Amino acid sequence: MKNYPLWKIFIVFLLLSLGVIFAVPSILYKEDTGNWYLDNRLNLGLDLQGGSYLLLEVQTDVLIKEEFENFSETIRIISRENRIKINNIELLDDELKIRFETSDKLDEIRSSFLQKYRSVKFNLNNNIATITVDVLYKKNIQDSAIKQSLEIVRKRIDESGTKEPLIQRSGRQRILLQLPGVKDPERIKNLLGKTAKLNFHMVDDDDSKSLSLNLAPFGKMIIADINNEEIKYLLEKKSKVGGENLIDAYASFDQTQGHAVSFRFDTTGAQKFGKATSENVGKRFAVVLDGVVITAPVINSAITGGSGIITGNFSSQEATDLAVLLRAGALPAPLQIVEERSVGPGLGADSIAAGKIASIIGMILVCIFMILIYGSFGVIANISLIANLFIIVALLGTIGATLTLPGIAGIVLTIGMAVDANVLIFERIKEENLKNKKVYETVKKGFDRALSTILDANITTLIASLLLFVFGSGPIKGFSITLSLGVIASMFTALMLTNLLVHFYLSFTSKKEINL
Amino acid sequence: MFRLNKIIPVDSDYKFLNFRKHFYIASAIAIALSLIILLFKGLNLGIDFKGGTLIEVSTNESSIGELRDILAPNFNEVSLQEFGDENTVIIRLQNDNNQESIKTVEKVKVLIDDKVTEFRRSEFVGPTVSSELLWKGFQAVSFALFAILIYIWLRFEWQFGFGAVVALTHDVLFTLGVLSLFNIEFSLSTIAAVLTIAGYSINDTVVIFDRVRENLRKYKKLELIDLFNMSINNTLSRTVMTSITTLLALISLYIFGGEVIKPFALTMIIGVLIGTYSSIFIAVPTLLVFKFRPQEEDEVN
Repeated sequence: MKNYPLWKIFIVFLLLSLGVIFAVPSILYKEDTGNWYLDNRLNLGLDLQGGSYLLLEVQTDVLIKEEFENFSETIRIISRENRIKINNIELLDDELKIRFETSDKLDEIRSSFLQKYRSVKFNLNNNIATITVDVLYKKNIQDSAIKQSLEIVRKRIDESGTKEPLIQRSGRQRILLQLPGVKDPERIKNLLGKTAKLNFHMVDDDDSKSLSLNLAPFGKMIIADINNEEIKYLLEKKSKVGGENLIDAYASFDQTQGHAVSFRFDTTGAQKFGKATSENVGKRFAVVLDGVVITAPVINSAITGGSGIITGNFSSQEATDLAVLLRAGALPAPLQIVEERSVGPGLGADSIAAGKIASIIGMILVCIFMILIYGSFGVIANISLIANLFIIVALLGTIGATLTLPGIAGIVLTIGMAVDANVLIFERIKEENLKNKKVYETVKKGFDRALSTILDANITTLIASLLLFVFGSGPIKGFSITLSLGVIASMFTALMLTNLLVHFYLSFTSKKEINL
Repeated sequence: MFRLNKIIPVDSDYKFLNFRKHFYIASAIAIALSLIILLFKGLNLGIDFKGGTLIEVSTNESSIGELRDILAPNFNEVSLQEFGDENTVIIRLQNDNNQESIKTVEKVKVLIDDKVTEFRRSEFVGPTVSSELLWKGFQAVSFALFAILIYIWLRFEWQFGFGAVVALTHDVLFTLGVLSLFNIEFSLSTIAAVLTIAGYSINDTVVIFDRVRENLRKYKKLELIDLFNMSINNTLSRTVMTSITTLLALISLYIFGGEVIKPFALTMIIGVLIGTYSSIFIAVPTLLVFKFRPQEEDEVN
């Protein structure tokens, strides 16, 4: 040991102690403590602690279609003002085609239309007008829809009582949610699946003929009841007041009707609501949520205070959720769940337990095998292997990485592959042993010769695992992180720790020959 | 102490390359069969790549048949399967329509709620997402092969890169063929397994190539075939050792790691076996195709 550089011993012990010290929080503590040291621990992925991963797509095509419908409505109004008749309007995928009766005055129609929509393309060809929008226009619509949706999704999730949710934009029109510990993903999905557009419409109870024919006259619409599709209402198309004017909503209880949602309007809403109710005493108004009627009570007297109550066969949970939706506001466009992965707490706990057993047994098998093959050197390799595991766990903990089930697989695989660097060194020493007589020289040559091979071999593995990180999603990233850290840690333990231990061993036993 | 270190003697001298034609033929047949089975039978795509719904439940006493009787009339395509033990059942549902599928989970839960003690997990992948995942997986594997080729080319001569990629492609195709043959589910984690196999196999190959390079410098007069044989034998003990330790860890993962990880572990086990074989019997013999000997040319000049 006399010639062994002191700084090397120092570095090895420093890194090892850091490895052990920073592995402790991950091994021993499960809860958040607020202590900077103890918080250096592994986070468990959703697949291990249970929870839901959801990928939502904002249906922006609906918005673009709506925009085109707005165009066509505006054109109708303008041409009526100009007394030009429209033969037909055709809404194609990406354009609106309007065939006017004449080609007179179309320039005027065009300029008044463009005053309203500046960046829209309006092309005239004789009596046919074509309206198109460019990519940027669409992108603006999409972007603002996604920003709004993110905001509203965040509000809804926060109000639902989920702890530590991760909500972020993903790609052009998606929102990614990670909800740890969620026990009832169906409820969350229902909360997110609703646009929550709330409107109050007057009910037309006089015109029973239209209703029986299921044919709404101009300015009216027919809408079904939420509980029974057979029950239809004939409503005024134009709503009296909508959810955008709500400032508060909360679950409440009505003596006669059971669970209910109480709400309060802002000043504008209160005025509109007051006006509508005072003008229509004795008639019914319908509360319409996302295209179905929730309830349609008779107006007994004018409601001027700006607050009211919605009843309608709710369960307690339904009333709470409706209140959450109304408070958070309506989504600009429907959300579609395009991917869901929910894991219950039972499976997560089972996976952790199985992962532990697999790691421990894998480790014992590898250790026994190494001792059978390499004897004392096998023991050295095993010490390196255990140090290696501590370092991996410490690294994962300090960078705040998330441990997933594939991540555990990565660790188990690392156990198998981490001894590789040791094996490479020992095999080299074995070869050198045939030629040399001096033990220290043999060991030195063994390590030197193995170095370039170890580097080459491990860098290729790192390349593969880096690409897994770039292209992989969620849990797979966890796998690539543990594998990469494992490879890096194994290079350190083999080249530094094993080296040191071999020298220790040789100097303490004062061996004159190597028995490998 | 009892020692096993004579499994591979340190001075082993197996003439692997002398039988290379046999291995070429064996591998060619294996690859051809793999391609045929991949083409006609295809991979058993999981919902990651096919889209659909998967629900894992624990039952108390209800048999799989009972659950099937309840679910079958309500859905077009439903398949049930025991998962690990008889009280755990996986329900797979196929749907063309996105929106419908997400409601499906809820519907299933309502239908079988009283027969089930725990809903362990539910997964749903929509058709747009599944095709994206497939494309990304394909990209990952191709880029990995390409990046490894570049690395080997930089560190060695290009002929080595060629040999390595031939061996890698062999490993990937062969592994996929075996997956198809045994109907092992192909999912996102399988892609991870295939990439890890690529990493592992190249690791093996690089170790042998490294020795070939060293020996090319050392023994300038030796016949190439003898030199390659010698290089393989030099590293044989290490190749076998590392494969065994890796396999020990993987077998432990397969047996004790839980049902979810089983296909991953199995794929890895198959891949490690194939990767070890190809490093010795495919990667090195490919080098014989090129009659290269850089140093020799220098001497002539």
